[in-house]
Amino acid sequence: MQENSVLIVDDEPIVRESIRDWLKDAGYQVATAETGEEALEMIEKQDFSVMVLDIRLPGQTGITVLKEVKAQRPWIKSIIITAYPSAETTAEATRLGAIDYLIKPVAPDDLERLIQETLDSVGREPTVTTEVEIRPKPPVVEVVEVKKSLVITKDSLRFMVESLAKEMEVVGVKSRHGKYVYDRISSFEELCLDYDVTVMPPTKYLLPARETLLKFKAGDESKIEPVTDASPRAIVGIHPYDIKAIELLDEVFMTSNPDPNYIARRQNTIIIGVDCLNPSPKSFAPSMGTHLTETGFDLLLTDIGADYVITVGSEKGAELLTKCAQVREPTGDEIAKQKEVRDEALTKYKLSLEVPRERLPKLLEDSYDDPYWESRSSSCLSCGSCVMVCPTCFCFDVKDEVALNLKAGERLRQWDGCVLVDFAKVATGENFRHDKASRFRHRIYRKGKYILERYGKFGCVGCGRCATACLADNASLLEAFNAIAESARIKEAAMRIIKEVRPETELYAPRPAELVKIKELTPGEKVFEFRLKDGKALGHWPGQFVEVSVMGIGEAPISISSSPTIDGTFQLAIRNVGDVTNALHNLEKGATVGIRGPFGNGFPLEALEGKDVLFIAGGIGLFPLRSLIQYTLDHRSSYGRAILLFGARSPAERLFLDELAAWSQSPDIEFHETVDRGDETWQGNVGVITTLIPKVQIDPGKTIAVVVGPPIMYRFVIGELKKRDIPDENIILSLERRMKCGVGKCGHCQINGVYVCQEGPVFTLAQLRNLREAV
Amino acid sequence: MRQVNVNVHQVTRVEGHGNIVLNAKNGHIEELRWEVTESPRLFEAMLRGRYYEDVPYIASRICGICSIAHSTASIQATEAAFGIQPSEQTLLLRKLLYNAEILESHILHVLFLAAPDFLGVGSVFPLVETHKDVVVMALRLKKLAYNLAETLAGRKTHPISCVVGGFAKLPDLGELEALRKRLEDALVDLDTTVELFKTLSIPDFVRETEYIALKDPKEYAFISGQIASTDAGIGPLSNYLEVTNEFCVPYSTAKYTKNKRDSYMVGALARFNNNYDQLLPRAKGVAKELGLSAPSHNPFMITVAQVVEAVHAAEDSLNIIDQILARGLVEEDNRVKVRAGRGIGAVEAPRGILFHDYTYDENGVLTEANCIIPTNQNHNNIQKDMEALVPLILSRPQDEIAHTLEMLVRAYDPCISCSTHLLKVSFK
Amino acid sequence: MKPKVAFFDFTGCEGCQLDALNLEGEELIDLLNAVDIVNFREVKTEREDNYDIAFIEGSISRESEISRLQKIRDQAKVIVALGTCACIGGINCLKNHLPMEEALRIVYGEDAKNYDTIPARPADAVVPVDYYVRGCPPITAELIKVIKALLLGKKPDIPNYPVCVECKMAGNVCVFERGMTCLGPVVRAGCNAICVTSGRHCWGCRGLVDDPNIDSEKDILQKYGLTVEQVVEKFKIYNTYAEVTK
Repeated sequence: MQENSVLIVDDEPIVRESIRDWLKDAGYQVATAETGEEALEMIEKQDFSVMVLDIRLPGQTGITVLKEVKAQRPWIKSIIITAYPSAETTAEATRLGAIDYLIKPVAPDDLERLIQETLDSVGREPTVTTEVEIRPKPPVVEVVEVKKSLVITKDSLRFMVESLAKEMEVVGVKSRHGKYVYDRISSFEELCLDYDVTVMPPTKYLLPARETLLKFKAGDESKIEPVTDASPRAIVGIHPYDIKAIELLDEVFMTSNPDPNYIARRQNTIIIGVDCLNPSPKSFAPSMGTHLTETGFDLLLTDIGADYVITVGSEKGAELLTKCAQVREPTGDEIAKQKEVRDEALTKYKLSLEVPRERLPKLLEDSYDDPYWESRSSSCLSCGSCVMVCPTCFCFDVKDEVALNLKAGERLRQWDGCVLVDFAKVATGENFRHDKASRFRHRIYRKGKYILERYGKFGCVGCGRCATACLADNASLLEAFNAIAESARIKEAAMRIIKEVRPETELYAPRPAELVKIKELTPGEKVFEFRLKDGKALGHWPGQFVEVSVMGIGEAPISISSSPTIDGTFQLAIRNVGDVTNALHNLEKGATVGIRGPFGNGFPLEALEGKDVLFIAGGIGLFPLRSLIQYTLDHRSSYGRAILLFGARSPAERLFLDELAAWSQSPDIEFHETVDRGDETWQGNVGVITTLIPKVQIDPGKTIAVVVGPPIMYRFVIGELKKRDIPDENIILSLERRMKCGVGKCGHCQINGVYVCQEGPVFTLAQLRNLREAV
Repeated sequence: MRQVNVNVHQVTRVEGHGNIVLNAKNGHIEELRWEVTESPRLFEAMLRGRYYEDVPYIASRICGICSIAHSTASIQATEAAFGIQPSEQTLLLRKLLYNAEILESHILHVLFLAAPDFLGVGSVFPLVETHKDVVVMALRLKKLAYNLAETLAGRKTHPISCVVGGFAKLPDLGELEALRKRLEDALVDLDTTVELFKTLSIPDFVRETEYIALKDPKEYAFISGQIASTDAGIGPLSNYLEVTNEFCVPYSTAKYTKNKRDSYMVGALARFNNNYDQLLPRAKGVAKELGLSAPSHNPFMITVAQVVEAVHAAEDSLNIIDQILARGLVEEDNRVKVRAGRGIGAVEAPRGILFHDYTYDENGVLTEANCIIPTNQNHNNIQKDMEALVPLILSRPQDEIAHTLEMLVRAYDPCISCSTHLLKVSFK
Repeated sequence: MKPKVAFFDFTGCEGCQLDALNLEGEELIDLLNAVDIVNFREVKTEREDNYDIAFIEGSISRESEISRLQKIRDQAKVIVALGTCACIGGINCLKNHLPMEEALRIVYGEDAKNYDTIPARPADAVVPVDYYVRGCPPITAELIKVIKALLLGKKPDIPNYPVCVECKMAGNVCVFERGMTCLGPVVRAGCNAICVTSGRHCWGCRGLVDDPNIDSEKDILQKYGLTVEQVVEKFKIYNTYAEVTK
């Protein structure tokens, strides 16, 4: 979608034009429509960010237009303007998703401010609403109206490419071993503009296989420096489906939590596309609506025989043409020829989806337990080829490398894939997607459902590369979608919001924190107290986590163990299980670590107010729960009864002994404790933690249970709580997954369509009933 | 009564495992042995029944230092068996690749394995403190040779792109140009090496023996030619069995050889003695500066001959790269038509003449193989040299005797682990 | 205190040790600043026997080598198997297909009785091994990576995914689409798919991934034209000891 593009719909010319002029001066791209019908036609052909809509229109009313827009382009934000505000119409408009309404006469600066706020706001609404059913689009060839189209001769194109090559790196499609690849072009002759598909997609130039995120130095001059690459580059010959893939990556990497590395490359890349006139036999781009595109490129070529039609898609493209090419207006015949070659190309596709693509999310939702996943994946090699060649895949891993002198190093990211065996494995060795069928299914769901629900665009552009690359012949998304085609309803989707965390340049760069105190809890567990070196408070809520860096070793997610009510410092209780935690355990007071965050949603404090809170902590589940316990004790009057049940494996493994003693004496909290197996000195309860639950009195109408512990514990505790009639919404759990970036990008912490670092790690049981991979 | 007991178990700074045993009483030698104790790897079992495509791949793994030599000999034997004539382009590329190995292997030996003895240290590591520039230079030369091999064949140890029929991937001309520049710099580095060698005192020990090497009328032979002997003149490759005459000895897992005399020598000095005239001008100049003239009968001068050959390899590489850059590179059809047949491939590995003799069936599967390794052919000569040298140094302190004998073994730059593997075998 | 490092060679071509020295000048200096190389027969004369980290090159193919390796295990805190022979047995295992006495007799005739040899096996068939640097030859950068990890006290980050991942990252066209066959889909990455990039296919020198789908790979090889015997032969070169050829 074009940023900052606004559609004004009003039947009064003076309103239309004055608003249009004002907004244009303010730098927006503006279009106008006089009637509802005209507005709907324009929306079909062009994409807008915002629509300013008069409720009172002749013909199709504003409300009808609003309804239609919601159905077809649900991500367009609408602002209503009306001279006659009435409660009913405004209520109706708001129910249909209008952002706000202004009363005429509209002060243009008010309107501009509202538009700016609207564009700045981070998805207060889901990008795909599920109250209104998405109507499938009829499979018609969309007539592409030419926006500033011109004609360029082959010679002039050669000149343009060669001029570009003098100023920047030019990459394009070349032939290699009988296939096609993207590579540097050293002469115009090497360029192939009539090819079917490349082995690797052009997205590898925006998100390369490996890139440096940070450089760091250890020792006296320790510093951490974000690194980006802004070398200019032109990519020539990108097919429309790959352009659509780039639009998806733009959405992922540039809107929420903007990624400085991607942005630096993207802003310095010129995209010169070419229509695909000889599609690959495995391509099903028309089914995904990606065989043609009107957006996402600077220039787009269509081969009409002797010359090319060249469509200008951006200012950059227009500038380039002006500077380096000779172009002319097209004749009517040439425009017709462009349509003709596109129509003919459409007939060459051999494969298609058997259902409209808008129905895919529903179909997948209903097919989670289909035996198809198990049977189809049995020959899968987990070799990663399907995700490596995919233009819409973007999951990555982050690693540290140091020089041999151990004094300097880099933090790098490189491609990763959810189909690879260790993708969802954590330091303790637990692998949350250890069987092939679940990995296989996850990829299909990501492509057909989860990405659409989060970003408003499909995660598959129908290029067919995966089907070609897969040696075991089972990676084809088309075959998977078609195989499970059946009707289903769209279930209510959870809110999918990527939380804004940090300003762009520091997204991956940790802040230094000093280790002020260390206390040993058990031989394998310590609690560390940190203070951020800039003196600021961490600003966290109970239940959130941070990413702790020991530069050169790596970064690990750790729950925060102390309440924000404690001033100045925060505590992390850490068990020694992996490389980073091992390095932390070897630190001494005064050492410096890197901190990013806080991340995650934290415990729902408002929901707990006034209620009885039943804390259930199994083993090191006490680490995150402790921050909530401290918080509630510090705000004691806001809550009803407080009950804490704590279970350890053995007396030697009990944690925070001083606090356990204090809690057991305190009148503010009812404390029960047990160990799985006792020893000679132990006088208290012996038995698993579930044995404590029947001992406490609970009012199920008033109690909220907050449970944190190892995965095996959850099933049994939930069982006991359900026996006490506690409703699902009142059972709160904190889940662990492999967290890496913390900002909803790298993909490792996914549970079905949900990111644990965003929508979690705290969930209600009601939410988890819909997440099949969860418990 | 003076007893001398030298028992050097697993000589250091040589490739492979060998022992030196000397027991003498009152100037009378009771025992004197150069023992080769390397584990037999039984390479014929590995080549047995293999399709021709895998044969050079496995044969290369006979040795990690001269893998290019084994690979080339294996490819040439297979091409001879199938009646395939490699193209001019392929031959140029092969020679260039080969030069990379000669350069690397000789620099490794001359500067890392042998030089420490002359500089009074046990290894190159202390030289990092005292002669840092020399060490950095030596690593630079090695790296250049590695990079040259990488550009041509993907990797120096166990090369990848060289195949029966040609090259599976052609080198990038831009990379060759960059390497050319570095080779010019290398000539300067080699001059420094020559200057260093002028300051070292090479032991003066002479024992004339027979010297055997490949000889090619067109150039200083490394990968082509016929068998030349300083005693017997020139003969065809098919004579190799009569020339080498392998036999077993009880205290050695390697076989020994002899021809016209009790033993013969192969390697840099043997090549120098046979083909001195064909050295390129710069290399000839270096030989003169270092006091090496043909024929030389001092085995300690093998190391000096290696310096000369390293210069020759660098100079030759520059010539070949110029030729390649002038004519360009063309994708050629490497497809191979197999047939039943027998072929012999002979090359001059850094340590001496190497033979691979293969027989294939009509499906391109290997049925018979025989390989004669250069160091095999030197073991007997080492033994004989020791027998002549020991009486001359027997009155010296025991440590010095041991050290001198070690230096003698090292001078040959032996590659012992290859030499116990390849023996005649046939399979049904 | 710099850790003391030793290199030991058993039955192999010694290419792994040689490549360990394939460093630039600065890298060698950094290496010598980071560790003390106390024992390295191929390169230095002096030796010490109180090393902390032992690199083992070559496979075990003689009785005497078994006790020698056990002594090294008793001394060293950390043992790193260097190269395919030490890690998975390597090419030396090809001779295991012949009955031992017959092989010796063929090779040495009546002198066979002087030579002892046992079926070749990797180092961890004899003693526990802590880390592996795989490849025939191994990648020098991976060796350095393992050394750095040991110095930092972290686990070396060695991939557990197949070569296909790195082959695609390198931009290669799959060799199956070029008339060749390849073991890449079941072989451990870390080599940057160098053999494919250099024009050939993957022979499997880095050994199999932890949980390879061998049946699927065998089916694929047959689909692309190999007979069952040819498939077995392909795996035999490096994976004889892994017994997937059964």
